Amino acid sequence: MIIRLKDINKTYPGVVPLHVLKDINLDIERGELVAIMGASGSGKSTLLNILGILDNYDSGEYFLDGVLIKDLSENRAAELRNRMIGFVFQSFNLISYKNAVENVALPLFYQGVSRRKRNMLAMEQLERMGLADRAHHLPGELSGGQKQRVAIARSLITNPSIILADEPTGALDSTTSHDVMNLFRELNAEGMTIVIVTHDPGVGAATNRIIRISDGRIVPDEPVIAEQPQIIV
Amino acid sequence: MENWREIGATLARNKTRTFLTAFGIFWGTAMLAMLWGGAHGLEGTLRRNFSGFSTNLGAIFPGETSVPYKGFNKGMHWSMTQNDVDVIRRITPDLEYSTTICQNYGTINYGTKSTSAQITGYEPDFSKILIPVVYSGRVFNSSDEAGSRKVALIGKNLAEKLFGTEDPIGKFVSAQGVYFMVVGVIGQTSMASIGGRYDDSLLIPSSTFRRAYNWGNQVNFFMYTVSPGLSPSDLKTQIRRAICMNHPISPDDDKAMWFMDISEEFKMIDNLFLGVSLLALFVGAGSLMAGIIGIGNIMWIIVKERTQEIGIRRAIGAKPRDIIVQILSEGVVLTSIAGLAGVCFATLVLAVVDSQTADPVLGSAGFTLTFSQAIGIVLTFLVLGTAAGTLPAIKAMRIKPIEAMRDK
Repeated sequence: MIIRLKDINKTYPGVVPLHVLKDINLDIERGELVAIMGASGSGKSTLLNILGILDNYDSGEYFLDGVLIKDLSENRAAELRNRMIGFVFQSFNLISYKNAVENVALPLFYQGVSRRKRNMLAMEQLERMGLADRAHHLPGELSGGQKQRVAIARSLITNPSIILADEPTGALDSTTSHDVMNLFRELNAEGMTIVIVTHDPGVGAATNRIIRISDGRIVPDEPVIAEQPQIIV
Repeated sequence: MENWREIGATLARNKTRTFLTAFGIFWGTAMLAMLWGGAHGLEGTLRRNFSGFSTNLGAIFPGETSVPYKGFNKGMHWSMTQNDVDVIRRITPDLEYSTTICQNYGTINYGTKSTSAQITGYEPDFSKILIPVVYSGRVFNSSDEAGSRKVALIGKNLAEKLFGTEDPIGKFVSAQGVYFMVVGVIGQTSMASIGGRYDDSLLIPSSTFRRAYNWGNQVNFFMYTVSPGLSPSDLKTQIRRAICMNHPISPDDDKAMWFMDISEEFKMIDNLFLGVSLLALFVGAGSLMAGIIGIGNIMWIIVKERTQEIGIRRAIGAKPRDIIVQILSEGVVLTSIAGLAGVCFATLVLAVVDSQTADPVLGSAGFTLTFSQAIGIVLTFLVLGTAAGTLPAIKAMRIKPIEAMRDK
């Protein structure tokens, strides 16, 4: 079990407190390719933030790869994010004045890996994404699909336990979206656990399991692609 | 090393802003340094006009009585004598240095050359009250005075007139028909003088003067300095009493003698310097403030502009400390380089001003900055600038990474 959520509750305080997550229970196995789907305001982004240790929750328990993620200091959270989670965002979130290699290598900078070594590892990841020839281009000089592949390379460089993707195809055209989803499927086939938050049914259909969330609650499982075998490493 | 690359990259990223910030810091430090050095130099310029001039100097001149006393009518002239001076010296223990002064204006001859100049008789202490510049030879000593030796010090300008390029030492000049051997060539640095400038005078021992020109024991006036901590005016009562012992002058007669107290004038000048220093401090503090606010402002903009980047960095594992260190080190690097450049620039400007205002005799006016002052200015900017930058950096940490990433 790589992700285990037990009775997670989250309320945003305010004049009218907003109870966004209500008793969420969720298990995700190692090697799964999961989509979290829901309408906007359903709480799926909050769930992703909690999964990504970018936000905390009020009650319940969250285990990531066996580690209880609760009331962590900002430093510990940063360290766990760095080592265990690879993020892929809708808007790519690359640093505009750093070239592709530097962007990919950045997570290793915060691990204190030497420049030479992290650039070497970053090159390896870019080669894997078929972007070796774009290594020294700035994000502004790359297409949307290329940017997203750079972002995916960055998410993979620390060899994380899980990849969290927030609307990874939201800013891409359909062909590129398709390529990116194929890439995720390939990575998943190699054993990577991937959680994708999306509202695009096409993206959901390309995963092995859909978790629907509505009004802060998980809608009971309905396997979409029922007979697709799960790859377990 | 790693961090330097990061800092270099971010600073190089927005060259215009980096340059403008750097220029602001540069200008702030340069202004502060120039003001500081400038005030110092201005004070030096004024003060060097008085170099060699004792600031605790007093003098007493005989005058005309204004009150009838012991059968003498008012309006009586009286002359100061060596007697008076002896009594003053006996009853006034707080005298530091003192000298009687006798003066005459007359013809000075050397060989075939002749000119008119002031002839002044001094006691040896004069060289401690109005410190002369000795170009060659020596000044008077106590045996010159005691033995009424016929020796003379010749002023630099007077020496040039009479001797040209010839060395005056050991030569004899005649003053009003009396021959004196020149033992020294002197001048003065101070713009101020009492009893004429050394440069244009012939100086002989006071006792020699009185004997040579038949003055008996009469002197023109008496000049003195007081022990540290006292003002020349503090001795007025004792001096007045000494003089009243020897002359029919009423103890209540304020106008019978004239006191001069130079320390009063210097107090005024000191106040002027204080004012200049305060002004420099005030303007300097202003430019310092402006510089610091500039740094703080630019740091705030840097943080604001990079909210998204900070969010990304934090999402992929940057600890708050990493981010704050990064932002602050950018400020520190910028401030150090620009601040040092500013101080160096100011030092250069001050050096030029100093060499322009330097006087061949009086020397440098002191348009300078000490090393510790220069370092102090840079450090002040560094510390206050860092403090100003810490606030926005800490503020940036309050934004959650997820919100920061959404910032556009």
